[in-house]
Amino acid sequence: MPPELTDQALDYLIARAGLSLTEAQKADLKSVHAQLSEMARRVRKPRGRMTELAHVYNFTEEDL
Amino acid sequence: MAAAIPTIAAAARLIAKKELSPVELTRACLDRIHQLDPRLHAFIHVTEERALAEARAAEAAIMAGGPKGPLHGIPIGLKDIVDTKGIPTTCQSRLLADNIPDQDAACAARLNGAGTILLGKTTTHEFADGGPSFDLPWPPARNPWNTEHFTAGSSSGTGAAVAAGLILGGIGTDTGGSIRGPAAFCGIAGIKPTYGLVSRAGVAPAAFSLDHIGPMAWTAEDCALLLQALAGHDPRDPASANRPVPDYTAELERGIKGSRIGVIHHFHEVDYPVSPATRRGIDNAIATLRGLGAEIRDVQLAPLQDWGACGSLISIVERAAAYEEWARTRLGEFSERVQRRLMLGALVSGVDYVQAVRRRRELRAELQAAMADLDVVLTATQPNEAPRIDTVPVWDTFAAPSFMMPFNVSGYPAISLCSGFGEGGLPVAIQLVGKPFQEPTLLRVAHSFEKATEFRHRRPPLLT
Repeated sequence: MPPELTDQALDYLIARAGLSLTEAQKADLKSVHAQLSEMARRVRKPRGRMTELAHVYNFTEEDL
Repeated sequence: MAAAIPTIAAAARLIAKKELSPVELTRACLDRIHQLDPRLHAFIHVTEERALAEARAAEAAIMAGGPKGPLHGIPIGLKDIVDTKGIPTTCQSRLLADNIPDQDAACAARLNGAGTILLGKTTTHEFADGGPSFDLPWPPARNPWNTEHFTAGSSSGTGAAVAAGLILGGIGTDTGGSIRGPAAFCGIAGIKPTYGLVSRAGVAPAAFSLDHIGPMAWTAEDCALLLQALAGHDPRDPASANRPVPDYTAELERGIKGSRIGVIHHFHEVDYPVSPATRRGIDNAIATLRGLGAEIRDVQLAPLQDWGACGSLISIVERAAAYEEWARTRLGEFSERVQRRLMLGALVSGVDYVQAVRRRRELRAELQAAMADLDVVLTATQPNEAPRIDTVPVWDTFAAPSFMMPFNVSGYPAISLCSGFGEGGLPVAIQLVGKPFQEPTLLRVAHSFEKATEFRHRRPPLLT
């Protein structure tokens, strides 16, 4: 079970995103919190701190 | 009417022999647009006068010196998120209702350079996202096989227009299945090329690291002809691959005897079981490919839901970043569906995004290992026939895992092909996936499958 998303926490997240939502939109967004949390759970695997993300970059001849 | 619709390859042969006039071909497509598009809504903007002028110029050039290539004089359409110089490019959005770009997108310029005839801008989901919206100035496209049904999206207009013969081919874009999904529901061929093969310059973004541009047409062979014009390095696109472009049609007739084809059975049998008709199409396709001499093997990957979670989180965040300014200041001007998509960005953290990106590397490595001894893999494109357009869920991101997203996450090339018809008479499809930049092999397998089946002989009933 994902942690409960309180109305206060939702308001904070919406404000941080700079969005102005109606009460209906807030309820709509809150209704998919569990599905988003499940997605966030699925991308976390035991991989350790040394595993780099995929879009690190390397310099090529064109950079020189 | 259906018998009069040639493939691009067939039209090109006739044009080269001066047995088919580009002007007459263009007029025939325009006639079908006039007759059918009031029901299909495949076009936002038809460029009739320009198209006829281009067709007359093409015809004169061909009569004088022959065609400059197989696309010379071929009528096409461009999804309306592709910038076109001097032609409205709305992204199906109120926010860009009056937008007229001052230059062509790279893909538009390349097709123009190849001599195609642009018939107009095709319907999309708003900014290539969100699903069929009924609260925009333009209605969503309808499926030519049954106009009460969905085309899928977001390259909905191109899919419908090709299936109905309004154009012979066109451009779609694909962030999580937006070429292959409409290709499947509309019964045509659509290829999402390898990430970086076709420049995204001048095309509205959906999610930068998942966005692909590619062709949609009646056959895989036609997709190969279009891809030939589209592929190539473009320094304006930071993801553009700088590598030689092969001949995509050279190997089409070589057959697939000895080819090694993996089937990701668990995607469509366990992770998200598909409809009986879709399953029948897949099983028959496997039998057909085996009959052509291919060796069939089973492939195991991470569950479909893992790929979907990875792609969806990346997509949500990259979209929210791309459209952040408008989401903050003009959210109410978007369709309700896109407002919902943009809101999602508020609930995904930066750490969620980075973990998704790390997961992406793991998933791609998994696919790379699984395909080490294979030429292509096969699974479903869509789980079923097209549903009614009024039943598409508003939160379709969460409704069902996508069979297509794994290949946006990995960047591997993938093509959707018609593999039969369901109980409702609408098409079902298979998806074939190749290795990076191995489109010649992928297209060869696709072409061999199409030649061995009869699905390319059947057009939507509204054409008969």
